[in-house]
Amino acid sequence: MAGTIIGSGMTIEGEITSDEEVVVVGTVRGKLHVDAAVTVETGAVVEADVAAASLSIGGTMTGNASASDRVDLLTGGRLVGDVKAARLTIADGASFKGNVDMDV
Amino acid sequence: MSPAATAVEMNDLDTNGSVLGRGTRVRGRIQGDGDLRVEGTVEGNVTVSGELLIDEGAEIQGNVDAAVVTIGGVITGDVASRGGIVVRASAKVTGNMGSPEVTLEEGAEFSGRIEADFELPTELLDGSSGAR
Repeated sequence: MAGTIIGSGMTIEGEITSDEEVVVVGTVRGKLHVDAAVTVETGAVVEADVAAASLSIGGTMTGNASASDRVDLLTGGRLVGDVKAARLTIADGASFKGNVDMDV
Repeated sequence: MSPAATAVEMNDLDTNGSVLGRGTRVRGRIQGDGDLRVEGTVEGNVTVSGELLIDEGAEIQGNVDAAVVTIGGVITGDVASRGGIVVRASAKVTGNMGSPEVTLEEGAEFSGRIEADFELPTELLDGSSGAR
């Protein structure tokens, strides 16, 4: 069972910390600190700095992304912010504005 | 798992609602449409249009407002509901509760005030306003 799901009508303003998977379908503003995978689904809005083990973005995200493993920007996804991750993929059809630090 | 958290309730929440899992902590405001199940910790106010289920082991510090509120965990703050509030045996509530219908199960810890605004049955209304 997925740990945490922020549903489509739901808005959280503040700081979220978790040690289990977080799926965002709704809106998050603030900070997101997760020791597991974070998924920003299509239609989701994240205006927050996100630190996670891995991050997958299919929705709209404004804020810096930092992942210990990887960041995947999916088709239709939109990211405005800096990425710090060892691995990054940007799919065809994704939008991205920001800097990338692959920690080399 | 408290036996009273029915499977139907959980399925509803799994398919169209939000879940804050056991390992999740939120400091801030939560609001929105739909149902919410809290298994973790929330410091802040929670306002949802649907059902709010505060699971056994969950903790909320803040005021909550939902159509229906079921409490199995710990809450410090006021609870408001249009539909009803159920306080399970495992719950600990410190704060005021306002709802047309409040259920306190045996074993629940509660300190605060209950404001149950309900309409009196007509025969009782007649009796009180009548010439007795």
